[in-house]
Amino acid sequence: MVKTSINAPTKGGFNFDLCQRNEMLLKKGMQLPTFRKTGTTIVGIVFQDGVILGADTRATEGPIVADKNCEKIHYMAPNIYCCGAGTAADTEAVTDMVSSQLQLHCYATGRESRVVTALTLLKSHLFSYQGHVSAALVLGGVDISGPHLHTVYPHGSTDTLPFATMGSGSLAAMAVFESKFREGLTKDEGIQLLCEAICSGIFNDLGSGSNVDVCIITKGHTEYLRNHQLPNPRTYVSSRGYNFVKGHTEVLSTKITPLKSKAEAALVDAMEE
Amino acid sequence: MGDSQYSFSLTTFSPSGKLVQIEHALMAVGSGQTSLGIKAANGVVIATEKKLPSILVDETSVQKIQLMTTNIGVVYSGMGPDSRVLVRKSRKQAQQYYRLYKEPIPVTQLVRETAAVMQEFTQSGGVRPFGVSLLVAGYDDNGPQLFQVDPSGSYFSWKASAMGKNVSNAKTFLEKRYTDDMELDDAVHTAILTLKEGYFL
Repeated sequence: MVKTSINAPTKGGFNFDLCQRNEMLLKKGMQLPTFRKTGTTIVGIVFQDGVILGADTRATEGPIVADKNCEKIHYMAPNIYCCGAGTAADTEAVTDMVSSQLQLHCYATGRESRVVTALTLLKSHLFSYQGHVSAALVLGGVDISGPHLHTVYPHGSTDTLPFATMGSGSLAAMAVFESKFREGLTKDEGIQLLCEAICSGIFNDLGSGSNVDVCIITKGHTEYLRNHQLPNPRTYVSSRGYNFVKGHTEVLSTKITPLKSKAEAALVDAMEE
Repeated sequence: MGDSQYSFSLTTFSPSGKLVQIEHALMAVGSGQTSLGIKAANGVVIATEKKLPSILVDETSVQKIQLMTTNIGVVYSGMGPDSRVLVRKSRKQAQQYYRLYKEPIPVTQLVRETAAVMQEFTQSGGVRPFGVSLLVAGYDDNGPQLFQVDPSGSYFSWKASAMGKNVSNAKTFLEKRYTDDMELDDAVHTAILTLKEGYFL
């Protein structure tokens, strides 16, 4: 009805009202429905001019590949990008929301967004949902105070690192980083190391696969290399297609049933208006 | 004014069918700094004179023309603080539109929503109408567009318009100078000339 211009505190966060009921149902033997987690390899490194982010492109629903070429590197601001692992819907929604908030903040301050702003917005949102928003993120960008790389966990904790990996393929990718990373890499060295790490995830982890996406962020310039590497090209057995010639398949028995018309056309009056 | 006994309550119509508070709000607009907008063939220009109360004011801290989205800007005539509130609300609405439809908000939609906010404040209890008129300039798929939004919440699309002090002279000047196939550079030049006309008033 009447709306005044006071900013009332928003009713956010998770509603825990049904937890008692859920516990009661579990005790009676009912199973909680499980949600789908997408396997992923996402990585980020800091190099001499900025930050490089990388991700594989496979989205899985249990044992099935749902999307062979999905985009896991999300836009947050012109100078900040975020890779997402975990539940795909959660990562999409949370990065879109924070991207929107960053844009509004940008207009209000008149300045370029900072990575720590994005980080704080993400972690406070995830914390208020107590880990139920299943988004594990690698956030990277370059702002006025330099290049930054962070990891954000679903419960809301964050790390600040020179190189980071998340997702089911994170161990495979981290193995590559731990042996080959050094400070002050050049752009080409950084991309090569990153692609090696993602490929390690693609080939050694079932939840990751298909192609490599790379995003290079430097001061004043961002390059998004979609499908930078395609190590899993589709190979077709026969380019002519398959041809089934009559007589090549053995016929065991034949039964022919003529179709009888069951509908009877009847003369009826037109529908009354 | 003869309707003065009806001007205490905003939500009451006067016998002549006017909402007197809105008339007063338009007076507030009419005594504000001149601002104008011109729609050219390949863009829109909005301009205003940034008149500061004293030379001691830090001019970089005053922003009369502001962005609502990357392709929509706004200038106002009237009370500056009121325009700030509207710009903030419009920016948020533009972001909400983008979140919902994944499309940058078209100029007409944003104008409509801003006008709806202004109208809300003419029909609620305990609030007063906004003391600003806005000139919204934007460029989207439908080309360059220029809209004026009044304190009552009504909006008009213009080829060229002026608001604030000296509006009649400015509009006459624009009527003489405006052509449909004007280029953006010509439009900028005309805008500056129009503002100069009223400079010494």
